[in-house]
Amino acid sequence: MFESMPALLGAGSADVLPTTVGPGWLWLVPILALAGCVACGLCLAMRVRTKAPAWIVVGLLGIAFVLTFMGYSGWDSASAQVVKVFEWIGLSWGDSAGQSLSFNFGFYMDGLSWLWMLFVTGLGTLIALYASEYMQGDKGYARFFAGFALFVFSMACLVMADNLVLLYLGWEGVGLCSYLLIGYFYKKPSAVAAAKKAFIVNRIGDLGLALGLFLTFVTFGTVQYDELFALIDQGVAGDMARTPLSEMWQTWAIPLLLMVGAFGKSAQLPLYVWLPDAMEGPTPVSALIHAATMVTAGVYLVARFFPLFAFEGVPHYALWTVGWVGALTALFSSTIAMAQFDIKRIMAYSTISQLGYMFAGLGVLSTVGAASHVFTHAFFKALLFLACGAVMHGFAGQLDLRKLSGLWSVPGWRIVCVTMLIGCMNLAGVPLITAGYWSKDMIMAEAFVTPGGQIIGWILLLTAGLTAYYTFRVFFRVFVGPVSFEPGDEHHDDEHGHDNGHGGGGGFHPHAPGWAVNTVLAVLALSSFAAIGLYFTDKPNGGFVGNLVGDSTAGYVTPYGHHGADDGHDDAHAAAEGDVRFVLVADPPAHASGDATGGDHGADGTPDAAHASSGGLILGMDPHKAMYYISAVVGLIGILIAAVLHGPLGMGGLGLGTRTEAARSKADELLPALGPVARWAQHKWYVDEFYDFLLRTPLRVLSHVFHAIDKLLVDGLVNGLGLLPRAMGSALRPSQSGVLQGYAAGMAGGLVLLLVIVLIFM
Amino acid sequence: MMSLATQGMVLFADAHPMVEKITHLHAEIVLFIATVVVMVLGLSHNAGMRRLCGGVSVVALIVAGVLGAMTPDMAHMPMPGMSGFLKVVIAAVGVLLVLLIEGTVDRAYENTVRKTGVFDGLRSTRGEFYAFMLFSLTGLMLTTGADDLIWLFLALELTSLPTYVMVSISTSRARGQEAGVKYFFLGAMGAAMFLYGFALLYGASGTTVLFAPAGEVSIASVFASNGLGAMGMLGLVMAIIGVSFKIAAVPMHFYTADVYEGAASSVSAFLAFVPKLAGFAALILLLSTVGWTHGELHDSLPDAVRIVLWVMAAMTMTVGNVLAILQKSVKRMLAYSSIAHSGYMLVGLIAGPGNGGLLAGNGLAAVLFYMLCYGFMNLGAFGVLASLERAGMGGESEEAETFADIRGLCATNPLLGWTMVLCALSLLGFPPLLGFFGKLFLFTSAISAGEILLVVVMGINSAIAAFYYLRLVIASFIDEPTAESRAFGVTAFGSRVAASAISAASVVVLVLAASWLMGKTGDAVAPSPTQQVDLTAVDGIHATIAPGGAEE
Repeated sequence: MFESMPALLGAGSADVLPTTVGPGWLWLVPILALAGCVACGLCLAMRVRTKAPAWIVVGLLGIAFVLTFMGYSGWDSASAQVVKVFEWIGLSWGDSAGQSLSFNFGFYMDGLSWLWMLFVTGLGTLIALYASEYMQGDKGYARFFAGFALFVFSMACLVMADNLVLLYLGWEGVGLCSYLLIGYFYKKPSAVAAAKKAFIVNRIGDLGLALGLFLTFVTFGTVQYDELFALIDQGVAGDMARTPLSEMWQTWAIPLLLMVGAFGKSAQLPLYVWLPDAMEGPTPVSALIHAATMVTAGVYLVARFFPLFAFEGVPHYALWTVGWVGALTALFSSTIAMAQFDIKRIMAYSTISQLGYMFAGLGVLSTVGAASHVFTHAFFKALLFLACGAVMHGFAGQLDLRKLSGLWSVPGWRIVCVTMLIGCMNLAGVPLITAGYWSKDMIMAEAFVTPGGQIIGWILLLTAGLTAYYTFRVFFRVFVGPVSFEPGDEHHDDEHGHDNGHGGGGGFHPHAPGWAVNTVLAVLALSSFAAIGLYFTDKPNGGFVGNLVGDSTAGYVTPYGHHGADDGHDDAHAAAEGDVRFVLVADPPAHASGDATGGDHGADGTPDAAHASSGGLILGMDPHKAMYYISAVVGLIGILIAAVLHGPLGMGGLGLGTRTEAARSKADELLPALGPVARWAQHKWYVDEFYDFLLRTPLRVLSHVFHAIDKLLVDGLVNGLGLLPRAMGSALRPSQSGVLQGYAAGMAGGLVLLLVIVLIFM
Repeated sequence: MMSLATQGMVLFADAHPMVEKITHLHAEIVLFIATVVVMVLGLSHNAGMRRLCGGVSVVALIVAGVLGAMTPDMAHMPMPGMSGFLKVVIAAVGVLLVLLIEGTVDRAYENTVRKTGVFDGLRSTRGEFYAFMLFSLTGLMLTTGADDLIWLFLALELTSLPTYVMVSISTSRARGQEAGVKYFFLGAMGAAMFLYGFALLYGASGTTVLFAPAGEVSIASVFASNGLGAMGMLGLVMAIIGVSFKIAAVPMHFYTADVYEGAASSVSAFLAFVPKLAGFAALILLLSTVGWTHGELHDSLPDAVRIVLWVMAAMTMTVGNVLAILQKSVKRMLAYSSIAHSGYMLVGLIAGPGNGGLLAGNGLAAVLFYMLCYGFMNLGAFGVLASLERAGMGGESEEAETFADIRGLCATNPLLGWTMVLCALSLLGFPPLLGFFGKLFLFTSAISAGEILLVVVMGINSAIAAFYYLRLVIASFIDEPTAESRAFGVTAFGSRVAASAISAASVVVLVLAASWLMGKTGDAVAPSPTQQVDLTAVDGIHATIAPGGAEE
């Protein structure tokens, strides 16, 4: 599809910002997080049993957030700030080009890095605060916060890196922290298995990233972003001859490899299987690492290297794959989410699904849409997880939506319910008032105008409906309706003395969240609204996020940005009208001057081609405009279906719902009609089993075979060889008799032998 | 008056090479003064004064290290910066050795003195012991800057002679005496060999001066202009083989295990570093007289010398490693492994400075770097043994010695246990510890020099070494403590534990500075500008080493 995409873009249309030297103190941001890790390590060593580790981490991350914000405020958006902390590696093995490898431990701060850093440090602080209460009384309190702080450090390295190697370090670092924190309850076999699964599946992706890194170095002779993007901007490789990139297979191969890395980290098909299991970790970890930040690293990677992904003149295999895999992942995982009962699992599948949206957005050339969705999703998904976590914490580990109902009416749970509702509305995309609606629609609208993207668009639209359904299924089952709950089987062994009787259920009192949890939930709920405001600050350019992305390597001027762009006034006109219409960056003034070749897409006649291939109008409207109505309707229908099937009896006087008990709803009656499909979905389409069959079983058999061979042949050989030094030693041993004369004779004999050698060779 | 005096001093300095020489010897002079001071302090009737010996030694070493760092380059030497660099290394490792050696001698006697209140200077060995140790270190520093055969001989013997005594008095057991005697006789034999070699060198060249400023006669200049000749070659090889005693290379290695085992662990640590460094410094100086300017590419030693060293290197690593496998005593195992490490370092000598211009191809820099790494990791391993004691027969404490003694050390004493694990892994060359980088640079230098076969031998030997070093790791980390190993407690001398722990920490921390350190060793063996003119083939080494050699 994208192979046939017309070569629309001048070489300069993916912005490469000039670089300036950034503030040197920026290194404090990752270092503060690292200091937090070290401090918690010390607390661990000194067996501190107070909340000190939490306050240290909250404080340090808070300072890191303030510093990030200061750095962002002082950033002049026309350039990328480069901060060199120290030269990390400086190797050379010759004088000609490509015979040296040198890069700094340094940062490359453009809009993309700032965007990620702002929410990584911001959410990091909030979730650490939440965890201070959530993890209370756990024996590994300090260990948890050490891992948490190390994660923020690694993530900061990943995002702020000014070269691929530092990014790789951060990438592996977050992977390690993810592993450590998923397996945090290391005495629980399922947690250990989940941690291993996450680590191993991620290895596959990381192999892709590593190969991409190597190939990048081989092709460009550098891994340093400023040099790399300058070369891509000029469209040449880093060799002596300056071969044009359009003639090199590497130009499309590197994005494919990087894409594999991104799929692993961001849990896309077929590497998504680790993320649902990762919910074995403590909920704050799920919220920060497995919903808001780490899993968006893949999106970051693709966006960061977008100039290469969308490089003009070579087939866009990677971009095409990213778009399709994203869309299919979105649909696939939302079908699984519909059939699950564990509310945290549902949120995990919805995360995979939303990540699918982001990748689909990248695939249809909307980096702004993808980044916007990352940004809004970070807030509302963290909110959803933390609300689920509060439930889990309060109900002794109970996560089954059949065993929880009517939390709205349980004293002390109102804030959780309200914030959960806000989160659900965002995820479902309730029109106009939720940030999730705006960011999701940016992607869908773009899908419909990009040639070949219509099917992706329809898939995403269908997914939007499913998303609304499963989201509100959770809300209607757990948070409203008749009060009824069964506690889970996790006993708090700490100071919550009042929980002690909860084994029998009757005497169980849910443990309502305290101030820290409630505060964080409230702040996140408000933030998800604030995100809408940010979107409207500069709407024609895609809002706050659009501005940031425009001022980064991900800033990409899509040629299909607005239908009928032959009319140059159109976007300004539409914006002036206040029309609910998305207009992607045509040419932000900041870049127009440095962008002589790419600045006039309108004039080179190509939008006509776009027009011709984009499939025309939807419902007689420009797809951008139409999408906002259609997706609103789809979302509301999804919610409506959820209300009918799962809503409590007499809900809001609307008479929609019929549910009267926690465990059963009207949906159960419909299940037989679906035949085995529902069961398949509930069993996650048997993907894990399929992988077991396809990969694990053969590998296991193979490993047994190799083990046998190893045992017999290799071990035999090695042991045999191992005997050799021993035999030699035994042979030489008599020479070490301890007798002085023997030693002297040995020395003299050795001297003579060596002198004979000299005489022979002289 | 004033100007006259200044003028006079300038004239004096110009006229007397001796005075100029002294400007390079400040570190040694400080150590010598300290030697005298501790000798007197050790005889004091006041126990507090006697205890000062260690402190004075440490202070003197630190001052000597600082002065060593400020030593001006010796322009007429083939490697003007080597001496200054090595003095700093010697001082640094020396400080740790002093910490480790605390409490080695006079323990029983000090107890007696405390009981009886009578101190008899004749029965005390404390003063001598510290004095001899500083003497030895002084000799080591002098060796690094030797530019004359006689100087070199005296310096080498000043390094070695005190160690014979140190071995004997380090324990009161008969084994220590036996070890001392063996060490002395065999050492004397080794010294005789290289002294004979020196005599032949003198005979071949007519001078005892190893290196001299351009235009003056020296062994190096004679060899450069007239070639080695049979007598010169014989002399050089005899000298090399004789000096190999100091580094415990085959065939001069026989004494190693017996002596290391007989001496107290702290003294074994001393033996494994000080004479070895002296030997390598001497070998570098001796080999520099012929230079790495022979062979087809003008980048290797004369064939005969190269082959002798080649055989020695291959034999040394192999013999050291295969014998180490069989040992039950950690001390003997470390002794044999110390032989093997000398074998690895000989590879760097064979590779020489290289002419590729790359720091990674500079074998001499690799040797100095490895010596530095070895100093720390070896000291840590012996230090753990020296830090573990149990009450032995006759009220005397016994140090840990066998693998059984350190079983489960990580559980019973995490600090010492982990010190052992880290040092063992580093000795094995486990990435990313310091020993790995040491070995890596030796490998790269050998590959640059085209010594592929030797690299293969070295690789196989590293694999063999893994076997016995991992036994150390297994014993201390995986094995459960036994009643026997629990009998060992931590010594009362905290400085020993500190020295071990600092060594283990260095093994980890210095990795971060590996590139910088390697750059420093590169500078240390960078040829002098005058040499560069002479040796057209290696011209450009200095220029090309600098960019690779880390940023200063």
